[in-house]
Amino acid sequence: MPSVVEPAVSSAVPQSASPFGAGWQKSMMWVFIVTDALLFAGFLASYGFVRLASPQWPNRGEIFDLRLIALMTFVLISSSATMASAVAAAQRQDRKMAGRFLLLTLVGGLCFLAMQAYEWSHLIREGATLHSNPWGVPLFTSCFFLITGFHGSHVLTGLIVLASTTVRNARGRSTTYGVEVAGLYWHFVDLVWVFIFTFFYLL
Amino acid sequence: MSSTGSAASYKGYWITWGIMLAITAIMLAADSLPWSKFAVVGLLLAAMLVKISLIGGEFMHLRWEKPLLVWAVAGCILFFSAFLFILIAFDGIRIAGMLQP
Repeated sequence: MPSVVEPAVSSAVPQSASPFGAGWQKSMMWVFIVTDALLFAGFLASYGFVRLASPQWPNRGEIFDLRLIALMTFVLISSSATMASAVAAAQRQDRKMAGRFLLLTLVGGLCFLAMQAYEWSHLIREGATLHSNPWGVPLFTSCFFLITGFHGSHVLTGLIVLASTTVRNARGRSTTYGVEVAGLYWHFVDLVWVFIFTFFYLL
Repeated sequence: MSSTGSAASYKGYWITWGIMLAITAIMLAADSLPWSKFAVVGLLLAAMLVKISLIGGEFMHLRWEKPLLVWAVAGCILFFSAFLFILIAFDGIRIAGMLQP
């Protein structure tokens, strides 16, 4: 008897309830961010373990082009700033400006993914796979492809969310709240990159 | 939503962007500093924490959220990450010690 049960459930969970002073959508996005952050923490802890337990580790300066990584970081930080500006514009009910900033964020995300694809193809051409590489430590590329690939999949998901938000904004169907929740996810992607950038490319 | 209504400032976001770029430049240049490896690692970790605080506080608006939400998010991530890293670090250091000639 779902027709009888449903009203009872919905009355038990009032729609106006606002945990932590934020709406449900935003609260649930924060819950997702916390769980996803712990997943990345697990990956990075595993990477730290593998690195500590390995008698030798490849010299990152000989493998990565740090200029490209710096450019990728610049693009992602800039896209985070444009996303924050899109949220600010949406809060001011300036739909046109919000749309422009959302488009800029999309372009930034696409550029980042393109550069990551270039970096991957470059390493693969040099003989790097998930199980082996020319630098003598197979786990190095296992960690690299797993962690950067998982982050890249988050960027791709973010781009889909942003594209949807941009189209909805252009049609006048998005809310300030929707733009803000999409922004939270995009900033999280940027936040995770800060860890990857530090632990993988600099330390 | 209302809790973050005061956060909307283009100028503030672009100042944060500039600071983050400057920190990134310092991080990239850290390797060439005539410092010990320990000091360079300390600088990189400190710079990383500042960048994370800027993204969380300014871009994700945690500065304007209720303290309960901030503590629930930051506390949960910090506690479980530290738990994970500390447990794994002990084993990693032990194995690294075993591998020493």
